[in-house]
Amino acid sequence: MMIQEVRVTNLPELPDSKGEKILYDINNALGIQSVEKVRTARVFRFEGISEEDAEYLAQKLLAEDVFQEYRINSPVLEDADVVLEVAYKPGVMNPEAASLLKSAADLGVKGLVAADSSWNYGFYGSNISKTDIDRIVNSLLVNATVEYVVREKPKTLIIQGTPGPTEIIPIRKMNDNELLNLSQDKLFLNLEEMKVIQNYFTSIGRDPTDCEIEIIAQTWSEHCVHKTFKAKLIVDGKEKEPLFQRLKEATEEIGHPLVLSAFVDNSGVFEFYDGLAICGKVETHNSPSAIEPYGGAMTGSGGVFRDIMGTGQGAKVLASTDMFCFAPPWMPQEEIPPGCLHPHYLLRRVVDGVKDYGNRMGIPTNNGSVHFHRDFRAKPTVIVGAYGILPVATCRKGSPKPGDLVVAMGGRTGRDGIHGATFSSGEMTDRTIEVNASAVQIGHPIEEKRMFDAILAARDEGLIRAITDCGAGGFASAVGEMGSKTGACIALDRAPLKYPGLAPWEILLSESQERMVLAVDPANWERLQEICRNYNVEATVLGKFTDDHHFTATYEGRTVMDLDMEFLHNGLPQRVMQAAWKQPSLAEPEVEPPWDWGELFARVLGHLNVCSKEPIVRVYDHGVQGTNTLPPFDGVNGDGPNDAAIITPVYGKPYGMIIAHGLNPVLNIINPYYGSLWAAAEATANAVACGANPAEMALIDNFIWPFPDEESLGALDLAVDACVNFSRATGMPFISGKDSLSSTYRGKDGKVIKIPPVLCISVFGRIPDITRTVSADFKKQDSQIVLVGYRNTGEMAGSVYYDLLGIVGSNLPKIDPVALTRVYKALHRAINTGKVLACHDLSEGGLAAALAEMCFGGGLGATIKIDEAEKAEFFLFNETAGCFLVEISQNTDPAETFGDIPWTVIGKTVPAQFITAEQRGETLFSLNLEDLKEAWQRPMKEVFRS
Amino acid sequence: MKKPRVCVLRTDGINCDEETFYAFEKAGAECKMVHVNQIRSGSEKLASYQILVLPGGFSYGDDVHSGKILAVELTSFMKEQLESFVEANKLVLGICNGFQVLVRTGLLPDRKIGQIKTTLMANDSSHFECRWVNLLVERSHCVFTRGLEGSLLSIQVAHGEGKFYTDPVTLQEIENRGQVVFRYAGTDGRPTVLYPANPNGSLNAIAGICDSTGRILGMMPHPERYVERTQHPNWRRMPADTVPHGLAIFKNAVDYARQS
Repeated sequence: MMIQEVRVTNLPELPDSKGEKILYDINNALGIQSVEKVRTARVFRFEGISEEDAEYLAQKLLAEDVFQEYRINSPVLEDADVVLEVAYKPGVMNPEAASLLKSAADLGVKGLVAADSSWNYGFYGSNISKTDIDRIVNSLLVNATVEYVVREKPKTLIIQGTPGPTEIIPIRKMNDNELLNLSQDKLFLNLEEMKVIQNYFTSIGRDPTDCEIEIIAQTWSEHCVHKTFKAKLIVDGKEKEPLFQRLKEATEEIGHPLVLSAFVDNSGVFEFYDGLAICGKVETHNSPSAIEPYGGAMTGSGGVFRDIMGTGQGAKVLASTDMFCFAPPWMPQEEIPPGCLHPHYLLRRVVDGVKDYGNRMGIPTNNGSVHFHRDFRAKPTVIVGAYGILPVATCRKGSPKPGDLVVAMGGRTGRDGIHGATFSSGEMTDRTIEVNASAVQIGHPIEEKRMFDAILAARDEGLIRAITDCGAGGFASAVGEMGSKTGACIALDRAPLKYPGLAPWEILLSESQERMVLAVDPANWERLQEICRNYNVEATVLGKFTDDHHFTATYEGRTVMDLDMEFLHNGLPQRVMQAAWKQPSLAEPEVEPPWDWGELFARVLGHLNVCSKEPIVRVYDHGVQGTNTLPPFDGVNGDGPNDAAIITPVYGKPYGMIIAHGLNPVLNIINPYYGSLWAAAEATANAVACGANPAEMALIDNFIWPFPDEESLGALDLAVDACVNFSRATGMPFISGKDSLSSTYRGKDGKVIKIPPVLCISVFGRIPDITRTVSADFKKQDSQIVLVGYRNTGEMAGSVYYDLLGIVGSNLPKIDPVALTRVYKALHRAINTGKVLACHDLSEGGLAAALAEMCFGGGLGATIKIDEAEKAEFFLFNETAGCFLVEISQNTDPAETFGDIPWTVIGKTVPAQFITAEQRGETLFSLNLEDLKEAWQRPMKEVFRS
Repeated sequence: MKKPRVCVLRTDGINCDEETFYAFEKAGAECKMVHVNQIRSGSEKLASYQILVLPGGFSYGDDVHSGKILAVELTSFMKEQLESFVEANKLVLGICNGFQVLVRTGLLPDRKIGQIKTTLMANDSSHFECRWVNLLVERSHCVFTRGLEGSLLSIQVAHGEGKFYTDPVTLQEIENRGQVVFRYAGTDGRPTVLYPANPNGSLNAIAGICDSTGRILGMMPHPERYVERTQHPNWRRMPADTVPHGLAIFKNAVDYARQS
């Protein structure tokens, strides 16, 4: 069939802001100066319609003559020196295609069978070389995993295919080598596990189908079953309880009265007010983001939102958080390992993905952080969190009853993300991008948004018995897990497909996004369908929950899978794993005192781990839903950062929900126990600094760790102990968590890069009255500035100050969670009584950075005195978490305010726009706020061109 | 007194519907969430309402152009209903994506469905921007801003395609007829074309326009996000009796609908 092409550009006299952005990146990120101008054009293709209809669509839909012009079946940007077109690869779902079909139908255009869209780029400059273009294409415009340069007009836009047959895998006859070959690159199981599968099929007297072997591999993958966290550990020769067990037991022992659901559902649930509950979940999406950062980050967001939606009988998503770790964005290309993408590209594309998913869903992204360390050059860490609200009455995980329908809802099933679960569990290698290209896809937030709208409507009518998201492992995981206590039988050929040609095992395992599975009483099916139709959502009965404790699947009437649920879920042998952490040999050096305070202060503020992340925050819609009452930035110029987000989920009520987090990869390298305590302290200090009650908050853990060899597992063991000890000391329970143990890169030459172990602690809780909370910006002049909390300023290891000197150090902050709890209680009391005007916790960059940020927010200067017994640079740049700078009015008595916890009045706020420090009667420095702010804001402004 | 009825129009990707609903209810209206499909199927009629609001979001993903797919749908299936609604002197408010839809249906600036004379282009910065801006309220016929003329409102913008653009003749017409309702302004209260006070590079710093009757208003900033005192980022720095700046816009609409 004929394909019509419509190309649309801005009128030549008008600016092209997309082109200008690309030009900036070409000139700055790539350092290519031969390109002088970039113009862009949209390309639309329509199959099955006439040229007249294409013209009609151009006029009515595609181009607006106020600012654009169009061409039918002819090129645009002809005056450019180089023109190329970039499109999604055939088979990668382009979300815009469905809209083109819809509008064409709305406009009465008949006969359209397929549509697609892409971009033309025109480059201007007489000296542009082929090498320049290749670099622009490969580093900026095209991610070869999902996109390609269109060299000739496609012959058809229709994706065709016939499904492959269901194969029998002759596993019973395989020797060890053959078993390992079967596992490699596909199943990611070890020999022992492969043998358990072999034995099972030997015992039932037949060989498995591809569906069966795939679903076992998927169910048993590290990603889904968390073998390491459930393993019996031998630490330094002594047996210890499994990691997961320790966390769970601590929560049970604490017995927090507000915990409604911990570790059993898709998110942890905590009581709120007025019969409502709040819930939280944090996920990692490192592996997909490493190879396709835009799609990876999008599907990370989409997945964690579905975890919230799949809690209880459905929850509304209120907020999203994102925490990233990358290598420095200006790292030379030759230092990036083969098969890995450059951090400058990764950072921007991950931010784009989070932005496009969250903003379109209408979920505010209002808390997050970005950390940089060169060892993330082989694989970034991408963490996304989501929080929701739901009625207490329907907040507990539902269980399907035999006879309930298995309903698939939302997006269609395609060849997306096949092997995502198993792939995420493997190490990253230089072949990862090639082999696992199918494991990422482009998210479709609008599909998810309308599905959520429909689910909430169905929940409110009581139509949902149980619900879960289709994440890793697709239908296999969702249905298998929901029906694990009953049994389930599904017909794979009933699943609506994006395009024909999927084999049964692909339908079963596909990780196509924006799908959920529901257990629905047959009596409610008709009404559910009606709701779905109104919201333009597809819902399909795949089969039934049964009472035979088997997971059965058919395809065109044939049984392609019949597995015992017991074997599937409990057949995996518990691992026994050895763990032994080795103390790294790190020296604690003698450090020369600084000689240029101005330069030093500016360098600390401009350090990537301290600098302002405002350009990132501004592209996230952190105000949608109208719930934000403590935004990421506020103050006289709107650029002073806050420690946490506070939202008001119920309009017109004073109830607040606090959301914060903490992580620090550097400290875990020095000592995973104290590094992890630091992360937990930082997370909770961020919340308490804003006025949250330490007795009314819950924790979420995310361990992003290198592949668990003996040493890394030893570090993990210590990190979990730190979490457990912290939880018991503070009384804050862990109620959700996740581990991702694949942060290892193995190069072709056998070179191994262990990505720094990351523990991200997230915290959320409730606040009865948001008017009793504080922000970080200084409020008025002549206030007292009080330093509150326990710290030993000699503990400088892992600090930004040391990093600037090229040192790591060994003496890191050792936080005592018992003492910390006392500080939290006293500070919360002080804020609750209204005596605190502003509060900011100390973290990266130490007291100096916290002070500067409070000054930026308040538009005020500060004068401080440093005790003569202190080393000034340690006093200023020590990074002990759980310490605070607090602003109280000049008439407020600090002794009465803070009681018996350590506090020191270090200075006062002043109208002059300077930060001045004195010690032993001498002025150490007096630095202009404007210069400091410039240094603090510059790095991300450069990366993001803002 | 009977509460005016507000139709909060939803479809795939609309996501500021709940806060808009709340803002109108707080201002004294009775709101209903209405999906475009309900109007297409005839189970809901625009005529049952006094106020139509198109909330913000990303209708149909903002594919092709922001708000375009919804605008095509409305002009294909609701043309008559929309025409009789505005001819009955009822009120239409489009916020952010809703404003984009209104210009792409032609309801703004001239109430001529199918005639697109103005547009909202990609921001000059080429990226989405969420920040609080100052809005100068112009003297105009707009019923939504009665009593606010000359004041400076602090309201949040959150959009990637909000640069108001049109040809010089149309621009002059809009200016001459007093159809400009809001302009982005600096802290000194003067209109500005400079980033970030003007977050998108809009011509003449235009942030919102109305039709010649003042009953159809489209604006990029989000007044529904500031109907409670504590929604402002700096409420802790402001007096406790501060009236949230967005609320008056909804109250004016409700008052007008109640009187007519």
